[in-house]
Amino acid sequence: MSRRLALALLALLALPAGCGSSSSGPRKQLLVVVNAPFSSTPYLGQTIENGARLAASEVNASGLRIDGTTYDLKVQTKDSALSPARALANVRSAANEHAIAVVDEGTGIDASWRVAKGMPICIVFQGGKEQVNPVTRPNVFRIAPTDHGIAFRLAEYMIPKGLKIGLLHDDSDYGASGGSALHEAFSENASSVALDETLPADAVDLAPQILRARRAGATALVVWGQPATIAAAITAARTAGWNVPFFTPPAGDDPFVRQQLADHPSWVDGLTFAGGRLTAEVGPKPFETFERKYEAAYGVDRVGVKTREGREVIQPPETGMYAYDFVNLLAAAVLKAGSTDPRKIATALQEVTIDGANGDERSFNNVSHDGVVDDDVYFARFRDMTYAPVKDDPLSATLPRIPQTR
Amino acid sequence: MTKLAFMPLVALLVLALAACGDDDKDKEGLSKPCPTAPNAMATAPTLPGNFPAAQGITYTGVKKDGPSTIASGYLPDTIGPAHDAYVSAVKNAPGYAVTHEEQDVADSEVNFSGAGNSGQVKLLQTCKDRTQVTITIRPA
Repeated sequence: MSRRLALALLALLALPAGCGSSSSGPRKQLLVVVNAPFSSTPYLGQTIENGARLAASEVNASGLRIDGTTYDLKVQTKDSALSPARALANVRSAANEHAIAVVDEGTGIDASWRVAKGMPICIVFQGGKEQVNPVTRPNVFRIAPTDHGIAFRLAEYMIPKGLKIGLLHDDSDYGASGGSALHEAFSENASSVALDETLPADAVDLAPQILRARRAGATALVVWGQPATIAAAITAARTAGWNVPFFTPPAGDDPFVRQQLADHPSWVDGLTFAGGRLTAEVGPKPFETFERKYEAAYGVDRVGVKTREGREVIQPPETGMYAYDFVNLLAAAVLKAGSTDPRKIATALQEVTIDGANGDERSFNNVSHDGVVDDDVYFARFRDMTYAPVKDDPLSATLPRIPQTR
Repeated sequence: MTKLAFMPLVALLVLALAACGDDDKDKEGLSKPCPTAPNAMATAPTLPGNFPAAQGITYTGVKKDGPSTIASGYLPDTIGPAHDAYVSAVKNAPGYAVTHEEQDVADSEVNFSGAGNSGQVKLLQTCKDRTQVTITIRPA
């Protein structure tokens, strides 16, 4: 019997016991805070919240039993608005409200981990190299592709193609961190780089910067920035009649990019993004199961665009999946710790393993607090407002296409 | 009980059935006799950071993909012993650590860091007694 099957059967056997204990008395609540940019990048904030709430609702079906008391997870949201100062204030407030953990988009983590007072914070979107370090930041964890993984996988994919690459990143936290990772990944192959430039994150018109990239001889552009930056860069190139291929980090599949380019669907065609794979060696079933549960609870995430045949495009809940996995790991850690003390839970997070929503195991340990390995970064390319894994990368070629229309 | 409360039960049943099917499919290939092995490299390569070799590895090729080094080879063994061999090799190499490991029916991964690099050993058993090895080494 496989480990996965054994775990599933054990969980089935445990359910009736959980149902029984739920009626045995009042439950206490354990606060989990979602710190995300709800007002600035609404899709991202909402999917993180949904993933966390879905996992909490499943945990609460039986509750977490510790020393004769049953606990429910209570999810509360706080808007960071992509502001490091607000993100810091949110984490401080979560610690003061005795939250047991924060599910975090990543903005402001360089300051906020300190005020968390040992409470675990799990980043589920940003991938900055310095953000996570088991030794110097023992309470910071991450379930999301790292910038290092995205940048090096892009370099491994693009450099052998003989492209002259323009490396563009915006000046947001996300863009600056990605810019550093790109610089590192391409530094050994300087002859492949046509230019390396910073873009203003709030610019509507990037025509001058795109023109500079064209004049520098770029034959491909990597744009690492907020979805608005990616959309603005594509608009500037296509408006100038330049059909250069674009490559991006996971922000490239944010619905905002397609919404901004909805009047010119062909401009999205060919956009290639790197992201964490949604399916593992066991196939698409685990992710499909997660997606069905997510949709049953919150509906589909509509992109707001249609295919050429008029079918509505929906967004698979990738980042929501990471938030979901973390809350499940958190529940396992609470039980492992046998305590609601955030510091003890942070330690226990290094000792538990769950089957993640994509079928991969999720775990941390004392040498790595990153739950997504660099080799799980794949590439997908847009056509007709939906994306499919590319066929010219060994990992991506093995992955199935996730349905994205309704 | 609300509709939502039944969902974990339904999901776990689906997952359990899915797991059975995938395992059976993977096992089918494992009883096949192995074809002729690919040619070994004339001399064993020195990998970046003196990355350790598992006992019994035969290297069949090394290439650069941009900044990263990809080494290919095979072990004359099934997936379990092959996985253990690489976990042991990495753990016993000075300065190296296993950052993540996972083994399924026919494949496994051993992720590592050390000597200024990080990466993954990907193992795939495709026939009765041989496991393909792909090692990716990146500057950390």
